[in-house]
Amino acid sequence: MVQILDIILPIFTLVIASLLTIPVFRIIRKQNSHKTALTMTWFLVVFLIAGVTVANLALTYFSTANPVPLNLALDGSASTAVSSSFLVDALSVYMAIIIVAVSAVVMVYSVFFVDSNERPSDRYFAIMLILTAALLGAVLAGDLLTFFIFWEAATAAAAFLMMYRKNAFSLNATLKYLIMVIIASAFVLFGLSIVYGITGSLNYNTLREALSASTLAASDKNLLIIAFVFIAAGYAIEAAIVPFHFWLPDAYTAAPAPSAAFLSALVDQGSYYILIRILLYIIIPTGPNQVLDWTLMLAFLASITMVIGNVFALIQNDVKRLIAYICVADVGYNLVAITSVTSLGLAGNLYFFLIGGLTTALAFMVIGIINNYGIRTLSDFAGIGKKMPLVSIALVVAGLSFAGVPPLGGFMAKYLVFTAAIQAQLGWLAVIGVLTSILQTAYIFRLINAMYAKKPKDETPLKENKRILIPVFILVAAIFILGLFPDLVLQLLQPATQQLSALIPSI
Amino acid sequence: MTLPILLAVFAIPTISIPFVYFAGKKSPKLAAMFVALIALINIFLVLSTVPEILNGAKHQYIESYTWIPTIINTRFSLFLDGISASVALISLVLIFVAAVYSVNYMAGKKNLPSYYALLCMLSVGLVGVFLTSNLVLFYFCWELMLVPAYFIVGEWGYRNSYKSAFKLFIFTHAGAVFVLLGIGAVYWLTNGQTDMISAQTALLTASPDIVKWVLIAFTAGFAVKMAVFPVHLWLPDAHSEAPAPMSALLSGVIISAGAYAIIRISFGMVFPSVGIAFGTSFLYALAIIGVVTAFFGSFLALVATDIKRLIAYSSIAHMGYIMFGLSLFPVALADNNPVLLTTATAIAVVGTVLHIVTHAASKGLFFLTAGGIMHQTEERDINKMGGLASKMPFSTVSGTIAALSIAGAPPLACFISEFLIFVGAIQIINITGGLSSFYIIPTALMLIATVFSLAYSLRFVSKVFLGTSKDEAGAEEGHKDAADHIKEEKHRIVDVPNYMKVSLAILVVLVVLIGIYPTFFLNLIQTVTFGGVS
Repeated sequence: MVQILDIILPIFTLVIASLLTIPVFRIIRKQNSHKTALTMTWFLVVFLIAGVTVANLALTYFSTANPVPLNLALDGSASTAVSSSFLVDALSVYMAIIIVAVSAVVMVYSVFFVDSNERPSDRYFAIMLILTAALLGAVLAGDLLTFFIFWEAATAAAAFLMMYRKNAFSLNATLKYLIMVIIASAFVLFGLSIVYGITGSLNYNTLREALSASTLAASDKNLLIIAFVFIAAGYAIEAAIVPFHFWLPDAYTAAPAPSAAFLSALVDQGSYYILIRILLYIIIPTGPNQVLDWTLMLAFLASITMVIGNVFALIQNDVKRLIAYICVADVGYNLVAITSVTSLGLAGNLYFFLIGGLTTALAFMVIGIINNYGIRTLSDFAGIGKKMPLVSIALVVAGLSFAGVPPLGGFMAKYLVFTAAIQAQLGWLAVIGVLTSILQTAYIFRLINAMYAKKPKDETPLKENKRILIPVFILVAAIFILGLFPDLVLQLLQPATQQLSALIPSI
Repeated sequence: MTLPILLAVFAIPTISIPFVYFAGKKSPKLAAMFVALIALINIFLVLSTVPEILNGAKHQYIESYTWIPTIINTRFSLFLDGISASVALISLVLIFVAAVYSVNYMAGKKNLPSYYALLCMLSVGLVGVFLTSNLVLFYFCWELMLVPAYFIVGEWGYRNSYKSAFKLFIFTHAGAVFVLLGIGAVYWLTNGQTDMISAQTALLTASPDIVKWVLIAFTAGFAVKMAVFPVHLWLPDAHSEAPAPMSALLSGVIISAGAYAIIRISFGMVFPSVGIAFGTSFLYALAIIGVVTAFFGSFLALVATDIKRLIAYSSIAHMGYIMFGLSLFPVALADNNPVLLTTATAIAVVGTVLHIVTHAASKGLFFLTAGGIMHQTEERDINKMGGLASKMPFSTVSGTIAALSIAGAPPLACFISEFLIFVGAIQIINITGGLSSFYIIPTALMLIATVFSLAYSLRFVSKVFLGTSKDEAGAEEGHKDAADHIKEEKHRIVDVPNYMKVSLAILVVLVVLIGIYPTFFLNLIQTVTFGGVS
């Protein structure tokens, strides 16, 4: 049986570690040698503890057969309608696992990312840890207010990562992001206040029951739906769904490579997670408990997100910006999965979180390494394949995974998503999906073409830093392994699909 | 409990990829021999299943392993029947030959360890396509062919090679995503089946109006791989700019994988559920595409001056024959009722599958010979060649045999398969009523097309091997100056080196042997009965 301590422990570990990071770095800096090794040890210890606590949470939760969603108030009792609460179900446990795992890999990369003048400082690491903690809190939250608080903490930390370079471009991008986030927060708060006013609760479960209850007056119900549209729109802004996407390419381009990897792999998915929570778990779109059928509207948004993301990626010249637009396109593919409202779609969506996150993180990491040599645009990339063979292979793997080429993870993700769309009789959406996928292949091969076919200006091989390749190749291996043996992840997802089909019997 | 023979066919090359790479670091020749050895082992492994296919009760060799049991319930199912065993065997032979050939051909090129590792990776996907009966695994292998092909063509090809490789990738990948849509639709229509055999049965209950779109998606995707007429644009570039061993593989078996997939998936799985009316017009469409492609390819081959482009166009022409053969597939002997038939009674079916095999052997030989000529003469314009018969006798023999086989001259390999296709077509025309009358005109046109293929083959032989060398002709007229003379002394044209000779000899023997004694493959192919209609 999961206790409240099991849930809080990983969050607390990371918060405390973040507070300790600055003093620990002071001590490390006084040493004369082995600075990197000591830094590494510190983060390994932190993530070992965080990993063990999350593993403990997962194992305790799954130790009972067919676990049910568990909603606990902060004092450990079962939550009431008004208490702040944590929710543990298969979905949130899965999200917690991937957040800690991916965060650990990105952290290793950040520590080794020392060759440039963008060398991460102690504050930077502290913010990364706080951000991880906030995201963990957000995915484990059991009501909209708890989520909102953790999520605002996460966006504030994300803004710090974006403006880390402190040049005009990054400040500009951060400003754009903050304005969007504040608008989004205002939307969400407005929605939350209406919801609370009518139902007297912000708890996911209570809300779901209140919305589908027959006692609810029709006028109240309509008002609630409007409120949820506001909430969903707020988080749609943060998930960078077209037409609210324009902050994302700037923000990710402005951020240093490790933060871009972190933002794309985790923060992006976090904002998307809450859309799943609201759209699938609260506003049930089909079946006897149907509240509002939003599928068609979301299908429309999904298709324009895929098209706009990929078309804009096609015309980019700056490679980092190109990858940022792929992140926008990935949001579109995720939306296709959610629109299908099938258990296959949910599984595909969660699988896409992991693979899309790993792949974008890998791409940003590699681009970060290459950018260190002042190589930014497609024309600069000429001949990189010969000059930096290992780094280039990693970028090719990331690109092929984006394009959905088996045996890489991206294929299985897209297969699940498109199959789910077809299963939900949204064949046209799947067709748009594969057509934009061809577009994706085209610009990825334009990049590969630049890397291998074009002659470099000078033939001298660039020195590859071997240490920084460790986290890069961990991700390459993960993308290969998850592509070849998707069952490793799908086994974790099966309880989530079962729990969803308990709520929506028709799927 | 059977031995995991087919799993080994998959696993041995997969595991060997890094070892091939490191062997290549030591010596490229070692890596080449390594790849050849793997292909040889796999040939024997596939041959060891042949008795079971010929004599077993179901005429199949099946293995199935747990792969993704959760949610999507996909098994690692492998199987061989007469058709897939024949095509897998010829693919393995071509991989073996290509590896041996590469020892001389690729000598002195850069990054050879990567080349052999990619070749090894290619062999996994290529043979895997013929081995699997699971749609998802099929797609894995289908795309796995593509990435190594892209890099081999791009990195070690001729002029503008990456551009050709890009065309190759983007066209076939675009085709492949339609296959992916088809797989998704099958999953939906059959409530989560991804196995071809069980999906075939489950699809029979689905609405034909939807299934016909599935059939179109699959067939369109595979047709891009085959490079038939409207979607052939990638082939001439990719096949002519690729290094010769890769051209042999691409033109020999990789494009035929599209034909195999149409047999196995479009016909074997989807076709029985589309209904008679649509099925009939679908077959007519295939026949028309086949005829147009055959003419189109032959005409272009007739005017091509680039030695490899000529052969590439002839590949398009031959895909036309195969497409035409495929259109005869399900109707053979079945009056106005398009159902799948046993291969034992339908001659066109046997002929088409045999043509995949014979075309692979002949076209492989053709491309390898042309590659040898280019390697030795450093020339690729056939107008500037001539009189090579005296200088390169070995290549002349192999090139002539390849060209004559492609032209369909007896007793060489392609003759027998083309002959069977035409006999099958006439068999259908002989049935009174129904579909049969439609096929009179296409069959007549296809017969005319064979004349063109004879024409371009003979043109190739006469331009390249016969006549007098252009240099000698110039010398007689006294236009040759001292510098040219020295240049010619330097590049004295001699016959191909030994490893190339060995690989050419293997294919020459194969082409002649299948031509005079096709029984081995005929027996294998005849065992196939399509699932569901027994």
